[in-house]
Amino acid sequence: MLKQLRQICKELLEEGKVNAVIGYGQDAPGKPAYPIFVTQPADVTQLVWNSHCYNNLAVYLTQKRIRALYPKVAIIVKGCDARAVTVLEKDSQISREDVVVIGMACEGVGEPREPKCNACDVHMPHNVDITVGEVPNPPVTQEQRFAELNAFLKKTPEERMAYWKTELARCVKCYACRQTCPLCYCERCIVDKNRPTCIDTSATLKGNFAWQITRAFHQAARCVGCDECTRVCPAGINLRLLNQSLALAAENCFEFRAGMDAELEPVVGAYSLQDKENFIR
Amino acid sequence: MDKWLEQERPVAAPVRLQDNRVMYQPLTASSQIVSDGFVHAENSIKEFFFPRTEKLYNYKFVGQDVELQDVTVEDAPRMVLFARPCDAASLPILDHVFNWDYKDEFYNRRRRATTVVTLACTEHDTHCFCTSVGLTPDSEQGSDVLLLPLGDGNFEVRMLTEKGKELFRDLVQTSDKTAQIPEGPAKKFDVDEVLQFLEENFDSPFWEEQTLRCLGCAACAYNCPTCHCFDIVDEGNACGGCRVKNWDACQFSMFSLHASGHNPRSIQAQRQRQRIQHKFRIYHEKFGTYLCTGCGNCGRNCPVSLGVLNVVEAIHRRTVKASEKD
Repeated sequence: MLKQLRQICKELLEEGKVNAVIGYGQDAPGKPAYPIFVTQPADVTQLVWNSHCYNNLAVYLTQKRIRALYPKVAIIVKGCDARAVTVLEKDSQISREDVVVIGMACEGVGEPREPKCNACDVHMPHNVDITVGEVPNPPVTQEQRFAELNAFLKKTPEERMAYWKTELARCVKCYACRQTCPLCYCERCIVDKNRPTCIDTSATLKGNFAWQITRAFHQAARCVGCDECTRVCPAGINLRLLNQSLALAAENCFEFRAGMDAELEPVVGAYSLQDKENFIR
Repeated sequence: MDKWLEQERPVAAPVRLQDNRVMYQPLTASSQIVSDGFVHAENSIKEFFFPRTEKLYNYKFVGQDVELQDVTVEDAPRMVLFARPCDAASLPILDHVFNWDYKDEFYNRRRRATTVVTLACTEHDTHCFCTSVGLTPDSEQGSDVLLLPLGDGNFEVRMLTEKGKELFRDLVQTSDKTAQIPEGPAKKFDVDEVLQFLEENFDSPFWEEQTLRCLGCAACAYNCPTCHCFDIVDEGNACGGCRVKNWDACQFSMFSLHASGHNPRSIQAQRQRQRIQHKFRIYHEKFGTYLCTGCGNCGRNCPVSLGVLNVVEAIHRRTVKASEKD
């Protein structure tokens, strides 16, 4: 698979179809892989593909500096990352003709597997230009995908509030959650707006609740569940629960899963005269 | 420890969280403390001296005037237990900047009120590089007491200050045993070499080549024991509010954004360069000490594996290569 991936990337660079390949590099086997930008055909040997390839590289597609340096890129994605690329396309943030999406057959990352991988049904990425490898997409029920959230929702509201108070007390507002998120692409985040200030910048319980809840709402029906925010949180806050609760609402109310189907219009951001709600017409 | 907690004296120590990570946290019970089985807490002890958010004063609008109200700085005795030597060593480094042109009363009061009990390291990981910045797994800088594990559940106790002697006065027994502390991580770079590179390569393409993947969060700076940048903001409403001092970080694009819209550090590589320059050149020029204790928390917490060590090792490789050419 790696050999095939390197060959594909080499050809794309040689033929001048892309200025850079955004992929994964690694210092030594077993160490975490990290994002690399390969611009020379000979350097494709730096590319790796294994269960340490955590990052969702789609985050780089909207970065101004990357766009300026590399107008046309190829990007290596897992199933969850591919969904993020699709949302970026539907949100009119990228021109799909500027991006070659290389989808990797993925059996999950992390040792042991990351929680998001345990109930994944996109082992084979959707809406990609080139697919490398093949693994079966296991049948996964909605119940399985939301098992962790459903167990959490069985707690009483008081218990859940107590949980979030303990967890969010540790948030220092380093914004690693926002910066790793491919769908947090706002040029100026609401938390950085200071004329007037919308959200307290202080990392107090009030400021932290305001920040994390606002972010979750901004991700409603857009979050693809790549779970990078939870993985990178230095305080170990399980942001997945917040994101999943909004994803579940989108599924139950609109039968919509972000980035799963490139034909579907986004729930938030699409306008229809046939909308059943009166206020919007 | 229980006596301190009974007296409601704040104690912070490494605590294991639900997801297995270890962080310095304020204690509610002595049973929460973990002393081994981890290399370094994910955060640092700086929060107990320089909190992530701190009220400076309250204000109230009264007619055309503004009334200011002082806030009380808590200065009751407190303790940080089982700090790592690389955490404790950050305190004398931070003392410089908080007592430079302005003496930060908030920081100084907490510093005076806090007894730091440090536990020497017997393990290290690939992120650790204390030995490259002049420290060791049993460095005494910044500690009031240094505990060195004897391996049998007891510690060799080095009482280094009056505060430390006071705390351990009735708790130690004389013994002829001394602790054997392992050497720590091998030296990974030469700081003088780094300093020279920084002086000569401000505008080098090196910065963007090495740091293009940086996503611009502050997981490095906020978990660093020595990073100390802050922002001052007002939080309140039309009637009044408070002025607060919050952590800030040079990796944010907003950090250097001018009111005009101009940003002198317009790309991430310039912000990364600033961080390294501040740690190994600027702070050293100003205060004669490096702004890094080699704890490795930047690398441990970085979403894209780009800690100080990665950048500085790249400088080292480049310097070695250049000298081979000569």
